[in-house]
Amino acid sequence: MIRLVVYWINYAFMSKSLFYIDSIENRTKSYDDLLNDVNSTKSYNSYFRSNSYYSVFLNIIVSILLEKEIIILDNDFSEKEIEILIGFNDLETKQENLTIEEIDKLQVNSIEELLKKINNVDYNWKISLFTSGTTGLPKKVSHTFETITRFVKRSTAHLSDVWGFAYNPTHIAGIQVFFQALLNQNLIIRLFGLSQTLFFEQVEKFQVSHISATPTFFRLIYSDNLVLPSVKHITIGGEKLDKKIVEKLKLMMPDASFTNVYASTEAGSLFASKDDAFIIKEEFKNMVKVEKFELLINKCLLAQSDDLKLAGEWYHTGDIVEIMETEPLKIRFISRKNEMINVGGYKVNPAEVEDAIRSISGVSDVRVYAKPNSVLGNLICCEIVSVNDEVTEKRVRLYLTEVLQDFKIPRLIHFVDRLDLTRTGKVIRN
Amino acid sequence: MSMNILLNIVNTILSNKGWVSIERLSGSMKLREDLNFDSLDLAELTVRIEAQFGIDIFEDGLVDTIGGILDKLCIHE
Repeated sequence: MIRLVVYWINYAFMSKSLFYIDSIENRTKSYDDLLNDVNSTKSYNSYFRSNSYYSVFLNIIVSILLEKEIIILDNDFSEKEIEILIGFNDLETKQENLTIEEIDKLQVNSIEELLKKINNVDYNWKISLFTSGTTGLPKKVSHTFETITRFVKRSTAHLSDVWGFAYNPTHIAGIQVFFQALLNQNLIIRLFGLSQTLFFEQVEKFQVSHISATPTFFRLIYSDNLVLPSVKHITIGGEKLDKKIVEKLKLMMPDASFTNVYASTEAGSLFASKDDAFIIKEEFKNMVKVEKFELLINKCLLAQSDDLKLAGEWYHTGDIVEIMETEPLKIRFISRKNEMINVGGYKVNPAEVEDAIRSISGVSDVRVYAKPNSVLGNLICCEIVSVNDEVTEKRVRLYLTEVLQDFKIPRLIHFVDRLDLTRTGKVIRN
Repeated sequence: MSMNILLNIVNTILSNKGWVSIERLSGSMKLREDLNFDSLDLAELTVRIEAQFGIDIFEDGLVDTIGGILDKLCIHE
């Protein structure tokens, strides 16, 4: 008992200065460690690729202080992909030794001074990422400090937040969480890539208060017999809001409020809401519109990119939305345009079919996808993860017959132990 | 043997629709008229046959009868 009290006193004291804890990399870094690592940096490479989350964070900070662009490449890109994306693949050749003047720029004496420098970053600084589409070649988009931190809240109310890091750090949402935590000097706990057991262990041990993740992430870690009272706020984004998982999370994290965020790599975070409807704020009034059910964003809201195709001043997001009200504009996300599956001329929204299957008792997750077919162009198929043997193909079909049109019902149903995900934790569609 | 596999595939599709299984197939059996298969059933049929035999029976256009499928698969009754 005494040991436990001592541990908690030590932890309470330490947590004020801790920066990052990673149970997979077995790494604990304090803000002093971070400062030392920044101060001792002697070389820099704008083309950054690493499987270490901490290295990503450190190099972003170094790039800001040096006022140099950082181009973040996903660690799972193949050499061939990298060559296609940036024109070469020998990243080591771009490593530069820093000049004395540059090393001087990295000498900061305190975290307060570091944060001040980051907040006053040069407007020319940019961070470039590659969009995480499930098909096609990734697109390079470059964000300024302003666009990447558009939704970051800095206030004394956030000083004791502990962030659960539930995205890949090369993903825009991961970088946004990093800045939210850093600029409030919070502790970051890695949760991405953890097993369900380890997830619960880490959240409880470090009293994680804030988690931002995709619906798929939450579905994978959900348990109906555990409660996490430390979590005070959940942010959900990246995929269509799954109301069923939100209801479940409210039971698992009873003290948490939640925010649904509309964000993309191309535009950063744009809208936030307490449910699945987004009211477009006055400041975005003339920068957002809906055409043929597709959400269009004015180029002034976009990150810089040569790879994005514009129609005049407008970017077609590929997001299909429903207009709920026109003044002010209120929209609801329906699906991704390119995710609609064409079955013999009928458009099937895989998210709708997934919602229907997920509402069957005993189904923990599902992936609906298209299989090319010589008869209808595509055939709807699905993979189901179930928690018991009561979920049978017959029962699934019987239920779907009642709630979906025939052409939307998967014709091939497979039961699997787990779903394959993209590198950003989203369900693979193809 | 292959005929039995084809019979199982047809019965799987019928069963998934909640219809009664059939006991045997004949070459003259028409997919639409006799088995009452619609386009979704035909699409499912081709995917299931391809998974078993590695042949897309509708690649060069629709086949009307069980006999037509057997020809594509080079199976003789």
